[in-house]
Amino acid sequence: MIKINNLNFGYSKHQLLFKNLSMQLSNGHIYGLLGKNGAGKSTLLKNLAGLVYAESGTLDVLGFNPAKRQPALLEQICFIPEEFYLPSVKIDAYVKANAAFYPNFDHPYFTALLAEFDIPVGQKLINMSYGQKKKVIIAFGLATNAKLIIMDEPTNGLDIPSKAQFRKIMASALTEDRCIIISTHQVRDLDNLIDTVIMLDENSVALKASVEEITNKLVFKRVKEIDDKVIYAEPSLAGYNAVMPNFHQEDSKLDLELLFNAVLAEKNKLKPIFN
Amino acid sequence: MNNTFNIQRFGLLLKRQWLEFGKIYLISLLVALGVIITFYGLALWKNIVGTHAFSERDLHFREPLFLIFGFIFISIIASNYFAHLGQKPKAIIDLLIPASTFEKFLTGIFFTSILAIASFVILFYLTDLAFVSKLRSLYHSVSSVTTYTDASGKEVKSIDNIMYFFSKNSPNLFKPLYAVPFFVTSIFLVGSIYFNKFHYIKTAISVMIFSGIWSLIIFKSGEFLFEGKVLIESEEMPLNNVSRSDGEILGVLLLVVLTAIFWSITYVRLKEKEV
Amino acid sequence: MEFRDNKAIYLQIAAYVCEHILLGKWKVDEKVSSVREMAVALEVNPNTVMRTYELLQSKNIISNKRGIGFFVAENALVNVKDYLKTQFIEEELPVVFRNVYLLNIGFDELETRYNTFVKETFNP
Repeated sequence: MIKINNLNFGYSKHQLLFKNLSMQLSNGHIYGLLGKNGAGKSTLLKNLAGLVYAESGTLDVLGFNPAKRQPALLEQICFIPEEFYLPSVKIDAYVKANAAFYPNFDHPYFTALLAEFDIPVGQKLINMSYGQKKKVIIAFGLATNAKLIIMDEPTNGLDIPSKAQFRKIMASALTEDRCIIISTHQVRDLDNLIDTVIMLDENSVALKASVEEITNKLVFKRVKEIDDKVIYAEPSLAGYNAVMPNFHQEDSKLDLELLFNAVLAEKNKLKPIFN
Repeated sequence: MNNTFNIQRFGLLLKRQWLEFGKIYLISLLVALGVIITFYGLALWKNIVGTHAFSERDLHFREPLFLIFGFIFISIIASNYFAHLGQKPKAIIDLLIPASTFEKFLTGIFFTSILAIASFVILFYLTDLAFVSKLRSLYHSVSSVTTYTDASGKEVKSIDNIMYFFSKNSPNLFKPLYAVPFFVTSIFLVGSIYFNKFHYIKTAISVMIFSGIWSLIIFKSGEFLFEGKVLIESEEMPLNNVSRSDGEILGVLLLVVLTAIFWSITYVRLKEKEV
Repeated sequence: MEFRDNKAIYLQIAAYVCEHILLGKWKVDEKVSSVREMAVALEVNPNTVMRTYELLQSKNIISNKRGIGFFVAENALVNVKDYLKTQFIEEELPVVFRNVYLLNIGFDELETRYNTFVKETFNP
């Protein structure tokens, strides 16, 4: 569905943000895009949507080059930016103006999503809070039935019940012909929702693996003492939260935060495990 | 699917842009109407209430008003059209609307060069119609005689008591100037996408600097080429070897070419716009 | 459903389904929630639920009727108990044994305590 080949990208010619970044994404997955501030999460998403242009390399999104901004691709992309703008009209006016561009737009689904999010249909967009607007734009994006869903920090600005609603909605939105990519800092909001982790660090993909693969190869558990098997550990109340190679096929729950810090700190120890 | 132009999609885009900009556009029109009425009112109210006898000169404000205010109106509209692309959140939504860059560009031309110019002319025409009709009903005795040559070369004598703006300045007389408003809007349209902030001022300053440099080059090169030389008129080379209509054609051609160039730059900038 | 910290999510979901079957909420030959319904209810990725269902299928606890969905398998009750027993023996029993050993608790004492516990809890 998405093929990125040797992508080089930089906002200035001398300082590249991505160097020879390559990766493939397929249908039927929710990818969690992680990375430090400035690692290029939003930039990678913008590359996929054709909002910025790479220096070199090839990008294939649903068989199109996104840089050409062709309507046939644009109608299959739902992009939820972190900062967004909605005109000061009523929701139905907004839908009237924009939905027709998406041939698969599902009006009843849109209404159902708004109801799920507790958004009154007749309300003017300008009188809404940031979180409410975000819910409208998410509902609209999902109702387009686009094949590629790109979300940049979607849970930012959502209150606690909305985050739960969001997770439910995303769980139901994943179908076999859809590809969902979510970038986030709030790993706790989404850690049961994503099935594949993509971590950006040092101009490239530091880790791309499914949750299943990660927990097959690594085990996350509490230990009393750190021995030489431990790849990375953080002190906790009862000893340490540790990441270790999974020698005994133990089942453990992926701790995304711990993995994130482990990848940043111990990239060299983790690389051979995943290659 | 045609990814360059589709008439149905273009229609949808016009509708969408109208929903987005229509309100501001109508408000600008209302302001413009207010300004025109104010000028007419201030200039003519003494004649209308009868404290001051009407003379032909009282209507001389119309030509400068039409030209100067018309210029201001269409240039402001044009310099606003793509201005919002300077703001990331708005640009993202607009660039991702499933329509081709060409359609988005054409919509810009339609709103700035066709709708803006036409609506200004109509507003001016209607205001003039109202005020002059009133004057005509009050002052039957004032009349003026104009002679002009029509298209077939016949001299036409027209007698009118108080003349409407567009019959005094018959559109037929100014055909070569039709290119001017398009030229003006094309400059400000390109300015609206070229600059990220303060579009109007920056465009105006650029035009001034550019035309200043251009005049200087012409002047200096003329000085360099002809200084100390005497122009000799000969049979083969009459001084005025360029007839009026040839000059007009040349001028119009220049304007048309420049307009086309500015429009192409706008299109390319829109295509290359990154967020 | 609250997820615990240390156990893989797909196994926690498996335990949840097993509990439903043991408690008789889902009976033999009845349809279990679809992958999507379960994913939405638990706010997890549908692929995780799919993994759970594949595991339960391999343990003959649920069966897949093509095109219709998943159903509680014929011998589900027996198989659930088998499955939970294996899990208990492999995962929880070692922890108990470790404590029994460390704290020097004799088997006689364990047996009496076990019998009282059963009497108090299951035969009031």
